[in-house]
Amino acid sequence: MRSFQRNFSVSPSCPLLPLQLPSPMETHVWFVLPDEFKSVSLLNQYMELLSPCEKENVLTMRGDQLQKRALLARALVRTTIARYQINNHVVDPRSLKFRKNIHGKPELVWKSDDGQCPSPLHFNISHTSSLIACGVTVNSPIGIDVEEKQRKIKNNILAFARRYFSLYEVEHLSMISDSEVQRQEFVKLWTLKEAYVKALGRGFSAAPFKTFTIRVKDATNSGASEVAVESSDHPESLTNNWQFGLFELASSHYASICMEKDKTSDVAMRVPMRLTVRKTIPFVEDICISGTDAVVPIAGLIKQV
Amino acid sequence: MFLCFFPGFLQYIYIYKHVFGGDMLLEGLSISCLRHCYGSLMVQAAGLKLVSVGWAKFTGFPSLKASRFRVSCSAKPETVEKVIEIVRKQLALKPETVLTSETEFVELGADSLDTVEIVMTLEEEFDINVEEESSQNITSVQEVADLIEKLVQQKAQGES
Repeated sequence: MRSFQRNFSVSPSCPLLPLQLPSPMETHVWFVLPDEFKSVSLLNQYMELLSPCEKENVLTMRGDQLQKRALLARALVRTTIARYQINNHVVDPRSLKFRKNIHGKPELVWKSDDGQCPSPLHFNISHTSSLIACGVTVNSPIGIDVEEKQRKIKNNILAFARRYFSLYEVEHLSMISDSEVQRQEFVKLWTLKEAYVKALGRGFSAAPFKTFTIRVKDATNSGASEVAVESSDHPESLTNNWQFGLFELASSHYASICMEKDKTSDVAMRVPMRLTVRKTIPFVEDICISGTDAVVPIAGLIKQV
Repeated sequence: MFLCFFPGFLQYIYIYKHVFGGDMLLEGLSISCLRHCYGSLMVQAAGLKLVSVGWAKFTGFPSLKASRFRVSCSAKPETVEKVIEIVRKQLALKPETVLTSETEFVELGADSLDTVEIVMTLEEEFDINVEEESSQNITSVQEVADLIEKLVQQKAQGES
């Protein structure tokens, strides 16, 4: 584990180190573990970074744990993005402006002379009660979804799949005889589907899960399985320009990333998704965990950097 | 969405509804009075249903979100209770977490998988079918309860 920054300064004046932007076909994943945040003064520092609207949203959450989670999510987004600004210059996390697209997906805006325009920096966030992750890309829409490996499904899995998933996916799940393995495969498939609709910017309601199929092709001799999406509503639409990566994160979660393939590279060539994963405590430390056993690729062409 | 220019008045309704309980009091606030304030577009003749009232936010009632507030007399209390019971179970909420009809799912930390599981459990419980498009507008307990009653009624009337 390489530690990039160990800074126990409690002053937020300039403790964030700048970061190099992700290259094409590269995703940077940053995550926090809520249980690691116990210092009230640190949490108060994070609160100071939020816009009035974000603060209000945090306070409407029911209970301390949910409020902490909501706070950490916004603090993670703001502090991370602030470090990626142009020319390796860290901006004040408070100064970042966000807006929602037509379906409610948050995006970063830049203020230009003639108003606001979308930033080439894309991000997406996902959380569970024990982990909050933020994925960052440049010039590519990104969707990320994390779920606890142990997540229990209250409904019968096949009944649920028949109700919400595509035919192919139901068949795939029903062929698994071991109920625990079936549950795990369900959770993995869910994260892939969620990552896709979040990358599209549409979310669950606007892109019903039944209208597209995620196929995981078996691993080839090179060791990596391919993940592909097909749309049953619009078979002619371009679905082969989306790239997926599914991996186990911090031994506790499944994580899926969906991003657009780099348009400049030959679509026929299988270009891996470059992935960097870092655990962070904003203003305190970052720990790079790519290439360790805390990141275990499961499906999709992933190259950890 | 209609902008309300009389936040104080709706605050009054809220107090009445929750201090005195039930939806009967709303029938007591005369329809003509409500129509006067908000125009007849917003007050449907059947069931005293005010739909999608939004207003600039005011403080003091943290459970009311700026974006949506719905006052509806249509869902039976038993339906609301059943929804609350199912939501509690799905989200494994602590007994001390207070749930009311106004509670929004996002405040409880429900993610999309939770929401979908809740919808599915409700479909089985009430023997109805929720279309994906309808589930877009489900953000609070009240909205779920209203939707359920609408679907149950439609089913009983032979529509689907």
